[in-house]
Amino acid sequence: MSLFEAAFGFGLVSMSVIALAAVGFTMQFGITNIINLAYGQVMITSAYVAYYLNRAGVSIWIGMIAGAIFGALFSFLLNRIVYAPFQRKGTTLLGMVIVSLAVSLMIANLLLPIVGYYSTSYHQDPGGLIRLGGIALTSNQIVIIVIAVAVMLAIHGLLTYTRLGKAMRATAANPSLARNCGIPTQRVVDAVWLITGALCGLAGVVAALNADSFAIASGAGFLITALAAAVLGGAGQPYGAMIGAVIIGMVTELSAAQWSPEYKDVVAFGILVAVMVLRPQGLLARRGALAAAG
Amino acid sequence: MNTYYAANLLIYAGVDIIACLALNLQFGVSGITNFSFIVFQAVGAYTAAVLSMPPDTAAGYDFQVYFGGYQLPFPIPWIGGAVAGGLLSIPVGFFVLRKLRSDYQAIALLVTSIIANTVITNARSFLNGAAGLALVPQPLQDRIDPSTDTYQYLYVGLTALGVALAWFVSARIVNSPFGRTLRAMRDHELAATALGKNPVRLKMTIFIVGGMIAGLSGAILVGFIQVWAPSVWLYPETIILFAAVIVGGRGNNIGAILGALLVPVGFEEVTRLMERLNIGPPGFIPAFEWVAIGLLIMGFLWFRPDGVRPEPRHVFEGSPFPEEVESVRAG
Repeated sequence: MSLFEAAFGFGLVSMSVIALAAVGFTMQFGITNIINLAYGQVMITSAYVAYYLNRAGVSIWIGMIAGAIFGALFSFLLNRIVYAPFQRKGTTLLGMVIVSLAVSLMIANLLLPIVGYYSTSYHQDPGGLIRLGGIALTSNQIVIIVIAVAVMLAIHGLLTYTRLGKAMRATAANPSLARNCGIPTQRVVDAVWLITGALCGLAGVVAALNADSFAIASGAGFLITALAAAVLGGAGQPYGAMIGAVIIGMVTELSAAQWSPEYKDVVAFGILVAVMVLRPQGLLARRGALAAAG
Repeated sequence: MNTYYAANLLIYAGVDIIACLALNLQFGVSGITNFSFIVFQAVGAYTAAVLSMPPDTAAGYDFQVYFGGYQLPFPIPWIGGAVAGGLLSIPVGFFVLRKLRSDYQAIALLVTSIIANTVITNARSFLNGAAGLALVPQPLQDRIDPSTDTYQYLYVGLTALGVALAWFVSARIVNSPFGRTLRAMRDHELAATALGKNPVRLKMTIFIVGGMIAGLSGAILVGFIQVWAPSVWLYPETIILFAAVIVGGRGNNIGAILGALLVPVGFEEVTRLMERLNIGPPGFIPAFEWVAIGLLIMGFLWFRPDGVRPEPRHVFEGSPFPEEVESVRAG
């Protein structure tokens, strides 16, 4: 039984990592209507930014902040330089998916000559083991959970209590009405890319820290788990993504304890397929995947 | 310029043309963004391989693990590859095409492609995992020695037959009433549905037909290169074919062929040339090639979304707007 208690502990960490990634991804889709398939690659790029700082002797916690800042700027520029012009040109949703996939391919292959194919890991002492009953976690893992909870609370506060958050929700619901009400939607969208980009960068560093090692190929796995959590919760719904992250994180870790860790992504994919078949709108959304494209 | 090099070039071109014709049917004509296209090519290749190989206990083959191994004579592995591509399309299409919005379909298919590769890589006892299958017998190798020039010409001829078949099927579909219905669905799904067309059935049909042609292309390729492993059907391979169809011109078969010659074949040759001339850091030329493909896709979507050869506008004699027909003919 202790195997499953340990897996439960890892599940708590895993869901924290996934939540950070999935909330950013789903907010990009919900507010700007772009399915950013380059999200996983931005995550891994940010992880490498932190990696090089870490190699230079900087603590990983500062590297994490640097990764978040890098992710924010990178995502902001990505939208300004690529996505927004294509959207203004009237490219269809499907066209945008193809564009984002092309961007993803380009980021991965521009990064490849710099970082190489091989797996690496951060220089970071995992910290002392902390035991709670049968659950044993390192202090690093506890910090990851604390960061995720704090960020989720901050996102909740942002969306519920601030003018910017309310403007974001208005823009997501109906951009032209929001604009007519005097909301500067352009600036709101910029803010969304900065905030979700920061989440993306932070999630990348956290995911790389939590994994034993990471390589350039990890980006696709990051994307799949974030996608699965976002779709499970209902695409475009931040709270849905949080619930989705809890479910995916727990189920993948328990399945890894039961079968084999190689199939974590496969289990996430299984959940994704089941949701798309049984409840395509996700757990929370009212329309989600069922609405007409356009 | 030896025979082997020429045969190699022609066979790769043929396989890419077949694949692009199939993808054009799905993406160009019917609007299905099949991001898992390469999986259907792969299933055709694996099927053709296990149908033609001896069992994995046979002498010389016991270093790999796979199921089957039926040693069937030539046309059967190719037919089997095509059938396997069609059969796999049924469950995938059933899950993906039925309810989902088009952009969700694209994502579901992309994720399917990534996961299928992960599963085959990790499940070693099924198709020899990451190492893949090797020593796949070549068609008719017991009649003609594969190392001769005659065999190279024969294989080019067989590939040409495959291209002719794929062209025949695609041309028949594009120019038929069925093709018109598919284009109507692609351009305005709701209107086509209102006219009594069942979009799910239409998409399923073209998904299966495309899957079969893709399976055939895989069978032809594996018979020539004799190896097949997960590393040759990673999801970016699908993106190359998408680039080809976008560059050539979505929705018309000649555009698809043009795209196949310009993008996959062209890039392959440029890479070969750069490696021979030692331009750029070795080993990273493929990486720059992918960046170029990304730029090519974005460039075409931005400057020329209809491709080098845009889809011809279909106008009919009985049109209710004869003056529009005239203006289209004139311009």
